[in-house]
Amino acid sequence: MVAIAIARQTVREALRRRVFWIFLIVAVFLIGLGPVLGFLTPKESQTIMRSLGLAVILLAGLFITIVTCIYLIPVEIERRTIYTVLSKPVQRYEFVLGKFLGGFAIVFLSVAAMGAVFLALIYFQTTTVGPDQGLLRWIVSGKVPMEMVKGVVLTFFQMMLLAALTIFFSTFATPVLNFFMSFGIFMVGNLSSVTESLTTSRNGLTRTVGTIIHYMLPNFGNFNIQNAIIRPTTEITNERVFIFNNIVYAIVYSAVLLILAVIIFDRREV
Amino acid sequence: MANVTKKYPANTQRRRMTMLPIALVGLVLAAFMQGRIDPDAKQFHEGEIGISGAAGGLNNEFLLLPLLGFRQAAAGLLWVRCDEFFHSGDYDAILPLVRLITWLDPHADNVYITGAWHLAYNFTDASERSDRRYVAPSQSLLEEGVANNMDIPDIKFELGWQRYDKIKDFIGAEEAFKKTVETKPNSKGDDFPYGAPLKTLHILAHTYEKQGRIPEALIEWQKALDRSAEMLKRKPDDYSTKSLHEAERRNYAENLQRVRNRYSATGHDSVNPSPYPEVLEPPPGSADKTPRPWDVAFVPEVQIVRPRVFKIGGQFNSQDGARIDVRITDWDYQDHKITRTLNDFSVDPAQTILMDSISVRKNRFEREMDMSKDPKMYSFSQPTYRVVLSYNPRNTAPHLLDRFGWSGEGLTDVDKSHLYMNPDPDLAGTTYIEGQGGKLPVWDGQTIPFPNHGQPLRMIRVTYKITREQVLNQKPITEKDIVSVQ
Repeated sequence: MVAIAIARQTVREALRRRVFWIFLIVAVFLIGLGPVLGFLTPKESQTIMRSLGLAVILLAGLFITIVTCIYLIPVEIERRTIYTVLSKPVQRYEFVLGKFLGGFAIVFLSVAAMGAVFLALIYFQTTTVGPDQGLLRWIVSGKVPMEMVKGVVLTFFQMMLLAALTIFFSTFATPVLNFFMSFGIFMVGNLSSVTESLTTSRNGLTRTVGTIIHYMLPNFGNFNIQNAIIRPTTEITNERVFIFNNIVYAIVYSAVLLILAVIIFDRREV
Repeated sequence: MANVTKKYPANTQRRRMTMLPIALVGLVLAAFMQGRIDPDAKQFHEGEIGISGAAGGLNNEFLLLPLLGFRQAAAGLLWVRCDEFFHSGDYDAILPLVRLITWLDPHADNVYITGAWHLAYNFTDASERSDRRYVAPSQSLLEEGVANNMDIPDIKFELGWQRYDKIKDFIGAEEAFKKTVETKPNSKGDDFPYGAPLKTLHILAHTYEKQGRIPEALIEWQKALDRSAEMLKRKPDDYSTKSLHEAERRNYAENLQRVRNRYSATGHDSVNPSPYPEVLEPPPGSADKTPRPWDVAFVPEVQIVRPRVFKIGGQFNSQDGARIDVRITDWDYQDHKITRTLNDFSVDPAQTILMDSISVRKNRFEREMDMSKDPKMYSFSQPTYRVVLSYNPRNTAPHLLDRFGWSGEGLTDVDKSHLYMNPDPDLAGTTYIEGQGGKLPVWDGQTIPFPNHGQPLRMIRVTYKITREQVLNQKPITEKDIVSVQ
């Protein structure tokens, strides 16, 4: 319960920050620009609108997650408000967990908001609204493009993992250093198809380094399935299993990062 | 100074001792999950070129998206840029972008199709003749698209259509259209429960017709009829299906009628009351009423009127509408196959190839082919060239097919060296001429050695071997330059 209270407070603070709203508003604006691609063929314009929509959600989600989470713990230390918190019957692990849950909620809110705008745009692009065709009917009738929903959901879990990584770094690194480390690992983690190919390299050193990177670093590239889901004709076998495995991976890895964050924060002098 | 060991509270130490192994187990579990994800993840990235390869050609503004995993979004933006280049006529700029887009997004079916069309049709000389050197890269691009998208019929269809329409390679077209028809049904596709649209059956039937394989064409028309009838049961008022159904009925009947008229001496109606198969009908006005193939009395004339300017003409005794194909190439011209590098659509500037056709009017054909205005297309940098003038009945109009037959059964030439019988058994049709005797097709008194395939393709073909000096008008082209090499 203590962690929940800290999370609630964290969300309130984050929502008060202008940078969060600026990123969110710009992202919504960019998603809304999708229909200007109407000069292409309908199929191409749909494809590009969907791919750009998902890309904007990811990019905005990435910056919102990093910019929000890198400050969550350092700001408390800098302002010395952490003394007030830790002087109460609050364990350090509860503090870290609360901060993560707060960051997680912010990620959820932002991705959900952008996802809702994105899906609404697809609705207006693909449906002629008549008296018998409302948004609610569209959703209830199961005509919602589930591929896009899957894309948004996987982006959310990708951001959750990134939030855990950023919180982990924030227990010992300054915000600037944290920004570059988180962003750097996110980039490397996105090259999972490259690192995967390195695991079978003929060069022993390359193979070892590739294997360590591929299996030990958080693998953000797993969540990038946009190319397949944007093309409606692409059939993917084991798609549900794949998505389930990715969600489990995100949860397990986030948990590992939080445990490590707690261990480090426990030993940190504040 | 003595070492100071920091003391942590007991609960912190205890927590650490408990949590560290849990974290390690979690890491092992995550690595295990990664191992389970990897095999499935591969199908999401099938056909993609590594980002290090594709990024080599990307501008900075496009680089971030692929690095973040949004290869498709970057590909989409590049396609928008391509569209701008199309409208501004900057065709050369499109090719590297097409290459890059298909690397970034190997499922961009439209990019494969449009890119291949652009390659094969849009690079032209001053007389609007397309640069044939781009046909092979175009085909390779489509083949790559097919390999990356086995479940998408459109790219296979385009591959077949290009072979049918541009290259006139009906065997290759048949292969591609068959693969299109065999595409497994996709529940998300417009043609479900079929894998490919109805038009694919139509074009496959036409491809068989072009090869003179009418029984197989009839089978395809019948399949199309069955399918459209089934579709009409579900949607009786669908105008498009009704039109297609009517077209299928008409084509089916027309094929039967043509087989009967062209190859049979019986069953002709009031429109064609002739006692002879059309392909062997005696020449009009001739006293000799023996059924025989038509003598086209081909007389080719090839001249160089100015350096690099050919004047090609001659006589061809047929009705108006026949087209004489002209092909001028390096003597040992080889198609260029693409390799996977960024600039692999570029063609060999040292290669020369021109393909055109000249229509026959009042038994004459003639055209000046100016290859001097496009030195980048026609470099003439080789020592010898091949000039081929040919008439292929399979590419001809129906009113000529009535006389010559689908495989040239009704075609002959007084100069037998002009006759070319293609030895490829795959090119042979399935038709037999009634009354010619025996089980094997007999033609000009000779048994044709293709018992399993019926009539081989019979065409008119003359090949010249000329030198660079002749192309540069330093030496005339004569009949002596005609070679027997077919």
